[in-house]
Amino acid sequence: MARFLIRRIAFAVITLWLLSVLVFLGAHVLPGDVGRRILGAFASPRAVANLDRQLGVDKPLPVQYLNWLSGAVRFNFGSSLAYRQPVSSLLGPALLNSLKLAAVAFVIVVPLGVVGGVIAALNRGRPLDRIITVSGLSGTVVPEFVSGIVLILLLGIVIRLFPVTATAPPGSGALTQLYYLILPALPLVLVLFGYIARIARAGMIDALDADYTRTAYLKGLSRRTVIWRHVLRNALLPTIAVIATQTGYLIGGLVVIETIFNYHGIGQLLFTAAQQKDFPLIQATVMVIGVVYLVATLLADITYSLLNPRIRLGGAR
Amino acid sequence: MDDEQSRIDALRRKQSEIGNHVIDEYFSGHISRRNFLRAGSVAGISIPVLSFLAACGPAPAPSTPSGSSSVKIKRGGHAAVGCLPPATALDPLKVDDEGGLLLLSQVGEFLSWSGSSLVLQPRVAQSWSSSSDAKTWTFKIRKGITFHDGTPLTAKDVAATINLHADPANGSNALSVFKGVLAAGAATAVDDVTLRVELEAASGNFPYLLSSDNYNLIILPANYGGDFSKTFNSCGPFRVTSYQTGQRMSVQRNATYWDKNFIPPLDTVDYDFYTDDQSRILALQGKTVQIVSHFAASDGQALFKDPNVKIIDSRSANHRQVHMRNDMEPFTDKRVRQAMALALNRPDLVQGLLNGKAQVANDSPFFKVYPSTNTSVAQREQNLTKAKQLLQAAGKGSGFTVQLSTWRGFEIPDYAQLIQSSAKKIGVTINLNIVDEATYYGNAVFGQSIWLDSLMGITDYGHRAVPNVFLGAPLVSDGPWNAAHFKNSTYDGLVAQYVATADLSTQRRIAGQIETLLLDETPIIFAYNYDATGATLPNIGNVRMTGDFQLDLRSAGFTS
Repeated sequence: MARFLIRRIAFAVITLWLLSVLVFLGAHVLPGDVGRRILGAFASPRAVANLDRQLGVDKPLPVQYLNWLSGAVRFNFGSSLAYRQPVSSLLGPALLNSLKLAAVAFVIVVPLGVVGGVIAALNRGRPLDRIITVSGLSGTVVPEFVSGIVLILLLGIVIRLFPVTATAPPGSGALTQLYYLILPALPLVLVLFGYIARIARAGMIDALDADYTRTAYLKGLSRRTVIWRHVLRNALLPTIAVIATQTGYLIGGLVVIETIFNYHGIGQLLFTAAQQKDFPLIQATVMVIGVVYLVATLLADITYSLLNPRIRLGGAR
Repeated sequence: MDDEQSRIDALRRKQSEIGNHVIDEYFSGHISRRNFLRAGSVAGISIPVLSFLAACGPAPAPSTPSGSSSVKIKRGGHAAVGCLPPATALDPLKVDDEGGLLLLSQVGEFLSWSGSSLVLQPRVAQSWSSSSDAKTWTFKIRKGITFHDGTPLTAKDVAATINLHADPANGSNALSVFKGVLAAGAATAVDDVTLRVELEAASGNFPYLLSSDNYNLIILPANYGGDFSKTFNSCGPFRVTSYQTGQRMSVQRNATYWDKNFIPPLDTVDYDFYTDDQSRILALQGKTVQIVSHFAASDGQALFKDPNVKIIDSRSANHRQVHMRNDMEPFTDKRVRQAMALALNRPDLVQGLLNGKAQVANDSPFFKVYPSTNTSVAQREQNLTKAKQLLQAAGKGSGFTVQLSTWRGFEIPDYAQLIQSSAKKIGVTINLNIVDEATYYGNAVFGQSIWLDSLMGITDYGHRAVPNVFLGAPLVSDGPWNAAHFKNSTYDGLVAQYVATADLSTQRRIAGQIETLLLDETPIIFAYNYDATGATLPNIGNVRMTGDFQLDLRSAGFTS
């Protein structure tokens, strides 16, 4: 198990390093002078050159990269070019906001998706199975910006059940924040429900058809016992992997939802930084999203290996 | 009647030479009441005197100088404004975007306020006057104003603020307005209440250059250390209580605001930042915010039809410029440029792109909103036959292919497509290069900017209460924004004359010459200028918006 973990972490570190190189190069091949960008069109060339020297952006690219990397490993990502404040002071609150939204969406969609998939599998071929499968698929193929706007119009403006923005007023308590996050979580639930339910259904059907399930029935165990003890444990393994891979998306990939609901998460921060060519902020945000994806994948691998010894042992060999 | 005449005479004796000229123009019927109010305010005639003289003049009595009606407001309450986020840190020197300038106008105070009627309203400056050559301007600074930190404001603070922006070492965005007019150190405090400004060149409209129209120029303390985004120390109607970058600015009314008649009724206001127009519009419809600042007409269809929303509409000089590189083929021949302009159906553009919230323009920055515009110059209209003839005469009868560059925002991509389809009708193929805003503007200097280097491009320009900036930076030979690379010494001379002129009739005469020259040369297509449009919920009143999207919430509040 230890070797398995070390291998996985080593892969994650290499991936992150590659990502850092790509992000850094991507940000620096674009034309434009950092000093000019900060000081504006009317600053003198001398003032621009002085600022470039102060910021170290007049140094060779490898030197700049090493300087940036040494800062990044100490969580010092430099200062935002647009906002003139430490990148970490912008990134921290945005990441926290994204985690909150992801948590609310997770709490709703994971049980719903798993239960939906299990019910569909247990009713394979019947109308209930069709309803769950077709409705889940429909929700998945509707883009978030469409479902988001429709939900805002319906639940926010016509019925006035929820506020139309996701950001609660300053100083709001946990319950108020939760209330503001329900509406933006719903389009995510629509997108992910079908996906999770489909995988859970497929896993259940495979497990229900497996020899060990038939053996369990032949041993005289009740249907409830067979499903709880033998089927579910095996059936949900692929679902766990799917859920884990969606974690990164839920935290770092919600640009559209965060924009529609005016939520100041990491997706919107990255979008704004990209619009303003705020390179330090872009680099840091992409790296943080990369870390989130890798950590989520790593946790999925570990969970998967704990539930399935064959993976663990295979990794050890 | 004799009493009235003697009172007029007494008032005239107190006015400057330029002021008396404006009064002569009005009484002789050469300018309208509205233009008299506007020109008089520039010449430093106080609002009460202007109102009195206007009432004595030939035309019917006007409404309030600001031209806006008021409703009864109850004191107190909290309002939320949905606005664009500032693109950068809130630095008065650097702000150059809609979100940033709106916030500056809430916290800061200007020498004077250029409202929707373009009549200057005195604020920190109580009055102003100029020398007869319009090269020296003297401003009387109001007593009793304090900064938010309690420090009294004097002429020294005003002089320091002006000199701060005029110094090229500081790279202020206001330099675009001051170039060739105002140098660093030109403003001096004669005493605590008198400010004198010596100009490099005469400027008849100079008070506008120091007004809210030059939105960077909120008055800062003389010892300002570049930390505005931490202290927010100015002397405006609201004080900042918290600022969350990219999210929101919260303010409370400034109870010690200098104008006791305009201490804001609202207790507190949140300015919630929205990166997306649709989200802001939905937030208003969902009553999450009570006011939305300017939104693009193309995005606001839902609000125009919503009976539960009040639209705030203000005529402005906001516009798009379509530049054609005068120094590059195929646009070196002015007949080709004229042909491109003749291909456009401007009324259709106004209706289709902007829902009618715009006015047709005539290929010069003299929009109809300006009193100095010479309306006797014939409007250019679509004429495809003539356009084809011009291309034929220029040796381009078989057409040509060019690339049109612009950025993705507002109605601009749609405008680019309409230009593309119009050009096709005269045999010109346009390939579109539509990028994001930051890529288009680049570093905003020649050689490092698609905007300034492209063969053909569409650029957005914000409102100015006088056309000086539009006549200068994008069109004079050494203009820093001269994307058309237009070089014409006759034009440069006419602009210098126009800028130096203080009286309206002479301005109008020179404007006619400039308009004719630009129509002939057509370095840039000015097809329309559009209105500033915002919205509120019905229970909010007295929200005023300027042409450059600043909000005046000094009287705003809940009606019920």
